[in-house]
Amino acid sequence: MKKKVIVACGGAVATSTIAANKVVELCKNNSIDIEICQIRISEIASNLPADLIITTSKVKKDYGVPLITGMPFISGVNVEKTEQAILDVLKD
Amino acid sequence: MIWEELNSALIFTDLDATNNADVLEKVGAALIKEDYAKDTYVEALLKREAEFPTGLDVDGVGVAIPHTDVSHVKVPGVAIAVLKNPVDFIQMGSDDDKVSVSIVFMLAVVNPQAHLEKLQRILAIIQDSEVLKNIKSVKSSDEIIGLIKNKENTL
Repeated sequence: MKKKVIVACGGAVATSTIAANKVVELCKNNSIDIEICQIRISEIASNLPADLIITTSKVKKDYGVPLITGMPFISGVNVEKTEQAILDVLKD
Repeated sequence: MIWEELNSALIFTDLDATNNADVLEKVGAALIKEDYAKDTYVEALLKREAEFPTGLDVDGVGVAIPHTDVSHVKVPGVAIAVLKNPVDFIQMGSDDDKVSVSIVFMLAVVNPQAHLEKLQRILAIIQDSEVLKNIKSVKSSDEIIGLIKNKENTL
């Protein structure tokens, strides 16, 4: 079944665009069928349910959905670890 | 390519700023003056930076990528500022972790989906601490453009 991934940042301008593209590539390479929903942090609640939330800003709220920081896609540090964490959530 | 579109009026090699708000005001003012951004741009930048900070620590080099909502931008562009003295920014994704920033890449974004490749190129430049160190060490905007050109040619 198609998985829904929310990718959110402060303004849905720069960082979530980068992160969303990385997630699309990652899932394509691993044959995981996903639907990306790129939005602002403030719009997360109204776009649930989802299988995974990836954000490039700090989110304190618990949406009851696995949440992974997409910061490594911006800083370039720890990218592989983050990719593995994303695959672990989406693969089953 | 990013380097081809860089405007030397938007490149500061030795910007004297007292704090991060001062940086946003001075560099943002250049984007407004050069007609890339609307008059509301600086205020929107300050507000967004307070809510969603953009400081990054790239292998020990502090960088910030301030940007704001597309509604405050006229045409896409990038302004680059090497700071005379580093100023603290809050790290992206944190509440109050500070990073001492010495280079600022200010982004004027109009349509992120259409400019994905450009955003990726800018990120690739920012993620290369060697390029950042070189940008910090040169004295002219032409040299900065040259460094970015060299990096882009390897992508």
